[in-house]
Amino acid sequence: MNEYLTVDPRTAMLLAIADDELITGHRHGHWTGVAPSLEEDLAFSTISQDEINHADVWYSLIASARDPEGTGDARRTVDELGLGRPPEAYRHAVLCERPPRDFAYTLARHWAYDHADVVRLAVLADSEDAEIAAVATKLLHEERYHVEHADHWFRRLAHGGDRAAGELAAGLEAALPEALWLFEPLPEEDQLIADGILPAYSAAMLVRWLEIIAPALEAADLGGTLPADVQMSGSNWVLPESHFAEQGGRYGNHTEDFTEDVWPEMTHLYRAHPGATW
Amino acid sequence: MSDVATVPDLDAVTAAVAGVPDPELPPVTLGMLGMVHDVRVDDEGRVAVELLPTFSGCPATEMMERDVVSAVSAVEGVTSVAVRFRFDPPWSATMISPEGHARLREFGIAPPGGAVPSVAPAGRRTLPLALAGASPESGVRHCPYCGSDRTERESAFGPTPCRDIRFCHACQQPFEAFKDL
Repeated sequence: MNEYLTVDPRTAMLLAIADDELITGHRHGHWTGVAPSLEEDLAFSTISQDEINHADVWYSLIASARDPEGTGDARRTVDELGLGRPPEAYRHAVLCERPPRDFAYTLARHWAYDHADVVRLAVLADSEDAEIAAVATKLLHEERYHVEHADHWFRRLAHGGDRAAGELAAGLEAALPEALWLFEPLPEEDQLIADGILPAYSAAMLVRWLEIIAPALEAADLGGTLPADVQMSGSNWVLPESHFAEQGGRYGNHTEDFTEDVWPEMTHLYRAHPGATW
Repeated sequence: MSDVATVPDLDAVTAAVAGVPDPELPPVTLGMLGMVHDVRVDDEGRVAVELLPTFSGCPATEMMERDVVSAVSAVEGVTSVAVRFRFDPPWSATMISPEGHARLREFGIAPPGGAVPSVAPAGRRTLPLALAGASPESGVRHCPYCGSDRTERESAFGPTPCRDIRFCHACQQPFEAFKDL
């Protein structure tokens, strides 16, 4: 599947989004059966299912572009995209591949990630690529439930006494620096903008995200968890461009949490029985 | 195709599609849920169906596709059936028909909007079940059993991606509600 190592900019963008969703869904699935309460078991199991299905929908757009006549087996291509690539061909942000650690970290990452996903979907809903705009509009409706769940827990822990707020702060300190990499510039982003596929640069989406999370953190007395690189300039949030000098997840660079943990487990069955259907 | 073949009747094909039950909510059909976007039949007897999924991640879509193919294939003159799910326009709960609302309520599921209040029976005290807490973002739903609006959402997540879980304080009955999309 080395054909997925070098791809056109649209495919690279769709893979970045779909892989974020797939790996996030995979990690959330950890809580099925062992979450702290029945309601949270249900919540994370549902969110996990939603995210994996959202990945499926984004992969389907790649599959249909590769087979415009629809003569092939789209299901097979989607499975191949989700499970049949080598680890270095996955383009999710490293944040998504981290283990769940504890429930506070899981909630902190969930809060940071789902707000970022909503910012991204709101931008893509205006894409000149009609298929991408339609999917983003649909998923935006569904993500509302994820953000509502994340915000609920953010408030509950932030105002739940020193112990709860402290655990949340520790989770945020671990999650937020890596969450910035959800906005690592995409491969050939200038081309995506010129083609009207991506209506806003990653740098602009990062600012929109910071405008949501920074005031929420400050209002909860958690402003200190914002990564030090993020600065206020006048009335705007800025992150130095040099922050993304090295290439990260969008270019297939991952940690052992992915290459030695998520990837082998997630793809085991597919690799043992290539092309199997069920 | 030979020239004696019957061209399938569009109304019969559309009725077959609309009559397919939702695999996860058998009392309601795809037609009642407003999921049937377009049905086309050509002179060769080929049928093209476009459906709007309620939730993009609905795991029942593959079953729906299979059931639609099976139902439409039984219509005289049909030679092939292609089912496509589309996201534009996005399905919305406002597409559920009045009959769909009534069937959902009979099944113990509160449909979005479309309140049908009725006199609530005398309540009795019981243990509070709320753990996650009601959210201000979720609209009030009338209990599908007694019609009371003294209900609250207990969980934003339920047995399927498109349903959540609520509780009626008037008749002390937990119930499910279709999510607002």
